[in-house]
Amino acid sequence: MSPRRQPPLARAFLALALAAGAFATASAAIVPPGTQLSPRQEMVRNNGAEPESLDPAYIESVNGAEIERDLFEGLTSTNHHGDVVPGVAESWKQTDATTWVFKLRKTALWSNGEPVTADDFVYAWRRFLDPKTASKIASTYGIYLANGLDVVNGKKPVTELGVRAIDKETLEVKTAGPVSFLPQVVSVAQYSPQPKATIAKLGKEWTKPGNMVSNGAFVLKDWSVNSKVVIEKNPKYWDAANVQLTRVTFLCVEDNNADLKLYQSGEEDFMQQLAPGAYTALKAQYPAEMHNGPLLGIRYYSLNNLDPLLKDIRVRKALSMVIDRDILASKVTADGQAPLYGLAVKGLAGISQTRYDWADWPMDKRVAEARKLLADVGVKPGTHLKFTYNNSDYHKKMAIFAASEWKTKLGLETDMDSLEFKVLIRKRHDGDYQIGRNGWIATFNDATIFLALVQCNSESNDDKNCNAKADELIVQGNQQTDPAKREALLTQAAKLVMDDYPMIPLLQYSVPRLIKPWIGGYDDSNGTDRYRSKDFYILKH
Amino acid sequence: MWAYVVRRLLVTIPTVLAVVTICYLLLHFTPGGPFDSERKVSDAVLANLQAKYHLDLPLWKQYLYYLDSLLHGDLGASFRYADWSVNDLVARALPVSLAIGGTAMVIAVILGVAMGIVAALRQNSAVDYLVMLFGNVGSVLPSFVLGPVLVLAFAITLPWLPSGGWDDFAPRYMILPIALLTLINVSTIGRIMRGSLIEVLSSNFIRTARAKGLPMRIVVMRHALRPALLPVVSVIGPLAISSITSAIVTESWFSIPGLGKLIVNGASDRDYTLVLGLVVLVTVLAVFLNLVVDLMYAWLDPKIRY
Repeated sequence: MSPRRQPPLARAFLALALAAGAFATASAAIVPPGTQLSPRQEMVRNNGAEPESLDPAYIESVNGAEIERDLFEGLTSTNHHGDVVPGVAESWKQTDATTWVFKLRKTALWSNGEPVTADDFVYAWRRFLDPKTASKIASTYGIYLANGLDVVNGKKPVTELGVRAIDKETLEVKTAGPVSFLPQVVSVAQYSPQPKATIAKLGKEWTKPGNMVSNGAFVLKDWSVNSKVVIEKNPKYWDAANVQLTRVTFLCVEDNNADLKLYQSGEEDFMQQLAPGAYTALKAQYPAEMHNGPLLGIRYYSLNNLDPLLKDIRVRKALSMVIDRDILASKVTADGQAPLYGLAVKGLAGISQTRYDWADWPMDKRVAEARKLLADVGVKPGTHLKFTYNNSDYHKKMAIFAASEWKTKLGLETDMDSLEFKVLIRKRHDGDYQIGRNGWIATFNDATIFLALVQCNSESNDDKNCNAKADELIVQGNQQTDPAKREALLTQAAKLVMDDYPMIPLLQYSVPRLIKPWIGGYDDSNGTDRYRSKDFYILKH
Repeated sequence: MWAYVVRRLLVTIPTVLAVVTICYLLLHFTPGGPFDSERKVSDAVLANLQAKYHLDLPLWKQYLYYLDSLLHGDLGASFRYADWSVNDLVARALPVSLAIGGTAMVIAVILGVAMGIVAALRQNSAVDYLVMLFGNVGSVLPSFVLGPVLVLAFAITLPWLPSGGWDDFAPRYMILPIALLTLINVSTIGRIMRGSLIEVLSSNFIRTARAKGLPMRIVVMRHALRPALLPVVSVIGPLAISSITSAIVTESWFSIPGLGKLIVNGASDRDYTLVLGLVVLVTVLAVFLNLVVDLMYAWLDPKIRY
């Protein structure tokens, strides 16, 4: 998720373009009129894994960010629909192509009662990107700020970072190029403010219960490693009057079956994820409690474009054409995911979905065309492919299906190589594979995140393809101030690059999970699957 | 005997050193590293991270650096759990594992020995078959089958106990995991005890004792029990170590924050310092428990002298 750095916009910009402008009213739990709430507003949800840290500078995982969004609040935030809403900043505007001004609310306080100021953001962002902090995710987000990458790489001091406090309640942000989606970017947990005095005083211990000072809707109450994180309502939070939950327990159960068992026995209200193959039966058993919204994520197979066999576009195209995504989605994974024939997924902002022409052909015609392509290249039946995936039943099932498609329709043999996850990702990053399982999930809703998968020299481009023309279109698109023009250019770029068949898009992720019927505030249409506990409430039951 | 104990304790030092060295090399030669993640870490950030954890040094220097920390009682900073040191993690997980694994071991030994005695004294009777059937169920059914059965019975069908989780040593969260670990171990101990006691009971010195007219209760308790316990004591050491440090399935199924979970996560996350710290702990525990077992031999069998 690291788009190429944008070149500076040389010309004068039409300035004062108003940004998101989503100056919505308070963004807390929306309890429908007439709803009867439970007197006990406590929720237990499984968060899937132990967070790697509770320090916003070190958060890398989805699980860690989920807790941080409750403990800390950035300039902006996202609500239960996934839309950007004001956070500590009550308003913002883009004053020129690369400059944004955020106005902070006077009522924003730390949990110790001190006001949250623009300086807290300057301190936090500098600390996050400081090479001495050594945050794994620094370059991923630093790329958006002026001098961000140079600071991460140690080429410029942190004081050169494109953020400054104009006064206590006004923050100016300079971006590396035009970043029209900056309000999305600064909603991520890593761009939260940090309490300078507490960190200076306590060092690494500042994130422990009793030590942590935070500014979110909740404060840290208890943290038992590999067991749970408990948070309680923060009375100092600026919108505390609209926060319903008083206590939330995040479990970190990784085993899907253990997760289900805790749900069934009433130990938790909110599952993280179903075990592979469990969806159909559980949906029948708990029809009212099963939720399955689409996620802004793509399941795909990476094709090593530098591989001697796969360097020919016709081979890559043939391999992609014969995989029947409909059967894959309905019979193999069978958990509500949608077939995919392009890079962009449904609901992704700033881009339209593209689809290969042949996706609507009958399968016989697709197979005939694929065979012809292979024959033209001279690839004979019996040729061996090497497929690499990480050892999980889910991926194995999908891999066997793909291998069977290539065998029965093209006569190609597939050698399976099941690896541990860390080994797979190292091999993918190093280009030491032929066909590899892959997947990508958006951390905020903008096309840039997905385009990073196919841009030349992008750290996320495991396929090692490069289409210079598509890259140029992406640069041009990101310089547009008109959202429609930007979307048109980015869509054109995605279509162009996907016509190179750098990868095999397969499915759009969904999030099947069970949630107790008394939990209010969950929205199946939230494609980012990011939730704040301030948006939840417990119905009387 | 004290000289023997001191000698055995001193042997711990080269043992730990050898184990740590081998593990250190194995870990560093395993493909994949602690900083590999879905989003590729940029070269500059990788360099920052390696410098922070001293991974930019040559391997031998890293090794010496680690040994130096180890000698000072510092197991290092965890790669995976950024806010915690390995000392912190072990200090929090060890009491949990000791409480679950240790309690289960004590119950399993008492129950297993009692079952073995009953079965041996009623050899080939209905009681023997019944006791051994119960014991063998624990032996043939793996923990990933027994665990769900226990939860289904006592947490879901009869909602008496929580199906998992942990709440600061609250007994209700400990009952099912202890029951599971006990069931797994009790069968092994029971079977060994039964076989051993049957063998001892057919010995000449037992026949002599019975010929002297001693009641069976006295024969068993005073003469047969101690020698019959020797094989049981031999397996207690390894069983205790695995129950305390490697109850991975039990901990995972019941979501218990013990050492087993740390070991699995540490290995898959390539958390070098965490894995090494746990290896040191397991090694020390193994040496200590083996020493205890050896000392118990001497107590049980007067022929053994140290």
